[in-house]
Amino acid sequence: MSCFSRAPGKSSAVSSLRKSIGLILELAKRDLTERYSGATLGAVWNFIYPLVSIVIYVVIFSSIMGARLPGSSSVYSYGIYLVAGIIPWTAFANTVSRMSSVYLEKKHIITKIHVDLRTFPAFIVVSETITFTVTMGIFFAFLLATGSEITYLIAFLPLIYFIQQLFAYSIGFFVGMFVVFLRDVKEMVAVVIQFWFWFTPIVYVYEILPDFAQQILIYNPALAFISGYQDIFVFQRVPGLSYLGLVFILSICLLLVANFIFTRLEKDIRDFI
Amino acid sequence: MIRVSGVTKRFKLYHSPRDRLKEILFRKQYHRDFTALDNVSFEVGEGETLGIIGQNGAGKSTLLKILSGVIIADDGTIEVDGKVTGLLELGTGFNPELTGVENIYMNGTFLGMSRDELDRKKQSIIDFTELGDFVYDPIKTYSSGMLMRLAFSIAIHAEPKCFLVDEALSVGDAYFQQKCMRKIQEFRAAGGSIIFVSHDTNAVKTLCDYAIMLEGGKIAMAGKPKEVVDFYQGLLLKKAHVGPSEVRVDRRVHADSDLHSDVSTGEVDVTSLRILNQAGEDVDSIETDDTIVIRICVQSRRYLDDPHYGFIIRNNLGVSVSETNTYCMGVATQPLSPGEVAVVEFEMAVPLAPGHYAVSVGVANRGWGYGNFEEYLHLMHDGMILTVMAKTDGIHFAGVFDMHPDVRIRQGRDAVL
Repeated sequence: MSCFSRAPGKSSAVSSLRKSIGLILELAKRDLTERYSGATLGAVWNFIYPLVSIVIYVVIFSSIMGARLPGSSSVYSYGIYLVAGIIPWTAFANTVSRMSSVYLEKKHIITKIHVDLRTFPAFIVVSETITFTVTMGIFFAFLLATGSEITYLIAFLPLIYFIQQLFAYSIGFFVGMFVVFLRDVKEMVAVVIQFWFWFTPIVYVYEILPDFAQQILIYNPALAFISGYQDIFVFQRVPGLSYLGLVFILSICLLLVANFIFTRLEKDIRDFI
Repeated sequence: MIRVSGVTKRFKLYHSPRDRLKEILFRKQYHRDFTALDNVSFEVGEGETLGIIGQNGAGKSTLLKILSGVIIADDGTIEVDGKVTGLLELGTGFNPELTGVENIYMNGTFLGMSRDELDRKKQSIIDFTELGDFVYDPIKTYSSGMLMRLAFSIAIHAEPKCFLVDEALSVGDAYFQQKCMRKIQEFRAAGGSIIFVSHDTNAVKTLCDYAIMLEGGKIAMAGKPKEVVDFYQGLLLKKAHVGPSEVRVDRRVHADSDLHSDVSTGEVDVTSLRILNQAGEDVDSIETDDTIVIRICVQSRRYLDDPHYGFIIRNNLGVSVSETNTYCMGVATQPLSPGEVAVVEFEMAVPLAPGHYAVSVGVANRGWGYGNFEEYLHLMHDGMILTVMAKTDGIHFAGVFDMHPDVRIRQGRDAVL
């Protein structure tokens, strides 16, 4: 057995939690500013990319190519459908792929200072959430400008997002441990995410799929939250909460398993980095 | 207070990280074990300094990494009643793109300081570094000395209970090293524990309350810094020895109950060591500037083709104040036959400051390069203690020795620059 007792006492759990939250926020802030450090516009670039993709999808697909959702006559309906899926998918995919390589990327810190390997990757979740929130804000502005309806359903948004990111965190944490031992896993994650994107109804509509494909796609957890956003923004209906509940339970199970593996591998992870 | 008990660290050496995964999956051994630390225990109390010495690969870095929490020990426990920070060569996790101030915040957060605390201490941290406006520049533009200043300042302001120092301190200039030393003394006076890892054996002797020597991951010796350092230096000489016979390091107990280490192959005996005054009488106490003769009698058991003889005079801190040998002095020596006795005399004036000095003498064979020998045959550590007293008619001076300054003072109309 090995233990590293630091700052014993009653308030230790609370104060260590407060410290790791402070660390996560500081890292998230740096994450947003560092990526474009040196660029004149700096952190603004974080929001220019999503803005550009919204414009491309809405303008090109809807206005220029004239794509329409089945059963809808609105010019923008397909564009809104696309964006409603792509914004959360981007947050999800970025969280998973960046978390999977976080230990390697932050090697220069992990090998120098003691950090809690379980909690500190959460800075990625925070930083992606900020990007997500701003992009969603831009999307709202666009919806208001085009006269689309925003209903009370957006109250479900934080819940869906929470479940989605919890799921992303549990996968990222799980995969991240293996990337330390096998660098190829990082590339595999990129490939899997590509496939996953096209196995999720984001650019196409679930209903147009043949029956057997619909049956298979039900097992795709991403369908639960992506269709949730589409329900809110496009179809104006209450998202499938029990479906989301299953994803929540799945995430918790995955976290527990990952945590169990972590407790057994932490020593090796630190040795290998 | 920091208590380390039974810490053991084994590294599993794999050909590639992939083998680790294979091992998990196939439950077959793909690694070879390497024990970097083996059952290491020590305790550093409040206000105490522990010195750790040892050769490269002895386990010093592994121990520092475990103490700083970067890697985890396989066995044993480490109890610290607070934070451990330090100034380590293994680095600080700075981000080169960020400015000095930004790195203070980033690094400070890693060391467990809150935002408020950092806001409060920021100025004090910057002031200590004396980096001026450079703290607003990205640290990739810093020199290694400047980085060291920043790292030290953050680490000591994090209010640790235990502070780790290694060779990284030597990167700084003499002025800042002194400043750091004063800060470390303050920290120690306030009840902090210090672990000092160094190859600078003189520093270990002067700074530490006690020392341990690591060898092959084990504590080879623990005790008073001077004893441990002598033992360590003996082992180093033994390593440098390339002759056919083996060198033994013996710890012998002197009358004053201090441990001394003699290094010897057993092929050469120093049969006598005497210090004589100009009248040829044995002395153990002289006045500053007196001339002495160090006379040693050496008897060899085998043929030495190029024997050389030397002496070391060290002060009470164990710091060498003067040392040389016949090879370094450019003296051509005669070969020494088995059984033959050589009497070697070093005559010199001793301008040393009052105090106690230890005289060590040594014999080696075949000099090469800049004062190296192929065979280190015998080193008699602290064979005699020489006491130097103030010269009755001499000037008053402080420091290591009297440089016999001349002085001229001109003033008024005569003061021509």
